[in-house]
Amino acid sequence: MKYLRVRAEPGKRIAITGINPVLLDCLQNVPGIVEQRDAPNVRKRLFPPPTSSDNAANRDWENLVVPDLRHLFDSAVEIMARDLESLTADPQHQHHFRIVFAEDHLAAWMSALNQARLVLGELFAVTEDDMRQTDLDMKQPKDLALFRIHVLGYLLQLLVEYATGLS
Amino acid sequence: MPQTGTVLIEETKSKEALDVPWNVIVFNDPINLMSYVTMVFQRVFGYPREKAEKLMLDVHHKGRALVWSGAREQAELYVHQLHSYQLLAQMEKSS
Repeated sequence: MKYLRVRAEPGKRIAITGINPVLLDCLQNVPGIVEQRDAPNVRKRLFPPPTSSDNAANRDWENLVVPDLRHLFDSAVEIMARDLESLTADPQHQHHFRIVFAEDHLAAWMSALNQARLVLGELFAVTEDDMRQTDLDMKQPKDLALFRIHVLGYLLQLLVEYATGLS
Repeated sequence: MPQTGTVLIEETKSKEALDVPWNVIVFNDPINLMSYVTMVFQRVFGYPREKAEKLMLDVHHKGRALVWSGAREQAELYVHQLHSYQLLAQMEKSS
């Protein structure tokens, strides 16, 4: 992903350029990955209770706050998926792509990428040691999940740097 | 008279309960990027970058960190915001 860049475009827009086919495949898989968030362990990770012991407060949270969070997470993925439809070839680099989207979609992009990473992490019980693993066998489902977590994390890192003014 | 005494004691207990600060705790997870967690602390609590980074490193190295302490209502709001950024956060009464 040596050509991958995130930069400001005129008209309060952001361009992601240098998207290679591998990253594109990961991005296009985000909505499908996030759909699996109702698996019990994933649900517990994305919608954790607010306290460890106050059952009444946890029940209220489940009824009042979780639907709100679910809506927020859905909206983020929808925004990212819609932006992906405007994908075009990157004129600077052969076999690479670019996407331009409104700056106020940035939070949705970060949320969607992070949701997908967290869902994969829970589905495959990823640990800190797994995250340090470098020798990945793409035929193994867990290794493929780790690869996707890292690829999406690379773009997320660039978006965080852009959002915090470090890029 | 006893009834009045009971009410007074209960009121005092309630006031104490309200006065006890609540802690907002963030827990480590293997997936969230360190830079992302730092950004979230800056955005949610308005902390300067240095403080946000220190708290993020506390979470990373110690497994959990107390990131804010204060009134219950505000603690709930912060936990809600942290969950909206997909951080593992809980509130607990200060001991």
